[in-house]
Amino acid sequence: MKGLEFWKHVSIGRYVEADTPVHRLTPAAKYLWLLALMLSASMSGSALVICISAILPLFFARLARVRILFLLRGFLPVLPFMGLAAVFQVLFSWPADRSTVLLDLGPVSLSAREAVAVVLMALRFVAIMSTIGLFTSVTSEGDTARGVEDIFAPLARVGFPARGFALMIAVAFRFIPIIAGEFESVVKAQAARGADFGAGARGPLRKARAYLPLIVPVTIRALERAEALAEAMEARCYGAGPATRYVDTTGGSADMVVRVAAILYALGIFIVPVLLAS
Amino acid sequence: MERSSVRRIVISGALGAVSAVMAVTPLGYLPWFGGASLTIMHIPVIIAAVLEGPVAGTAVGLVFGVTSLVKAATAPIGPLDPLFANPLVSVLPRLAIGFMAWGAFRLFRGKMLPLAAGVAGAVGSITNTVLVLLALGLTASEQMSGAFGVQTGALPAALASIALSNGLVEAAAAAVFTSSIVGAWKGLENARGRAKLSGEGN
Repeated sequence: MKGLEFWKHVSIGRYVEADTPVHRLTPAAKYLWLLALMLSASMSGSALVICISAILPLFFARLARVRILFLLRGFLPVLPFMGLAAVFQVLFSWPADRSTVLLDLGPVSLSAREAVAVVLMALRFVAIMSTIGLFTSVTSEGDTARGVEDIFAPLARVGFPARGFALMIAVAFRFIPIIAGEFESVVKAQAARGADFGAGARGPLRKARAYLPLIVPVTIRALERAEALAEAMEARCYGAGPATRYVDTTGGSADMVVRVAAILYALGIFIVPVLLAS
Repeated sequence: MERSSVRRIVISGALGAVSAVMAVTPLGYLPWFGGASLTIMHIPVIIAAVLEGPVAGTAVGLVFGVTSLVKAATAPIGPLDPLFANPLVSVLPRLAIGFMAWGAFRLFRGKMLPLAAGVAGAVGSITNTVLVLLALGLTASEQMSGAFGVQTGALPAALASIALSNGLVEAAAAAVFTSSIVGAWKGLENARGRAKLSGEGN
């Protein structure tokens, strides 16, 4: 029965409560930096930009007093993969590679260009991983939903349903533990009736079929709960007029500086390499 | 009852939660022959599109995509997970699932409902497979060839063979799941329409 407690061992994004300058930022500012860093890590081709976007989140993590090892612990399972990719970089040389050869072992050789490619790939991953890890550890669930509304506030003027979108994310957050519990109880109920979800000796087709009486009731229960919630909200006149907010996330002038800095950074990483090259 | 926007939002949220739970637990994968596994995490996205329209489908697709992005970046398990730590691979293709599934459902809506839902499931699943593999091929061809042990030139063939072998079975599974869930839900809704009071106790 150990495999049935699905939720216990899952750790994606744990909010770590603390009172630091990073935690005190408004959700909108955190989102802007998240997007800026993700953009620079995944889209930029410049080695310098990738290095910067790998170091910046670690610097912010220090400010937020989040342990850097905690952010990087996901890197271990990936190492074999990175090693494999590195081996392939070494085995197959790039066409028209004229960079200096660092290591020569007869038929295979490691050129500077190949080494840079491997290191950049690892750095890119570190950058994205630590950025997302940091965001989830400094932003509470409520702020994650509120931030979405703030970020899309400019689009809301042209009719984008920012409020509805934020509500949807808040509902999803609220439902996740409920659904996980629901899955657990249905799995246990089915297992009690002899269903096989573990490593039984039966054929894969039978195992796959066992998922149908699991997914269907859980989804139906989720839909029923959602209907009940929607009816309760309508009965309280949600959506009948402008809604107010309990938590204020406007932020002060310092916060505005941080937001502008994020936008400047995102623009800078694409403009500066072009300027340097020309 | 007419569909209010609150209802649509809340149902999308609930299905987003189902998709998120599937994405971070082993429940999102069906065991299949030869140790391979089929993903079924995109099914809530298709169901949202069928029940509540393309906007809800896209919104749930976004939740699904972001969850798989966060999971790939914070708790990677498989060899391909690091590649999903790229929003172009994990988020962008997932936005299209809802739209395609909704389109397929609309085309067949006049006919039998379970059939239309099944077709929507298959189309949504194929959209997911094709676009994710396309995005992987475009953004990470070097790393992919490392992971599969083929040279970059042979990568399109390797991706196409995945699309055929896993993708078609996944599409069939998605068709079965979507049509069962939508059928059961519509059945419940009709039964409640006939006897409104009887369903209120639970």
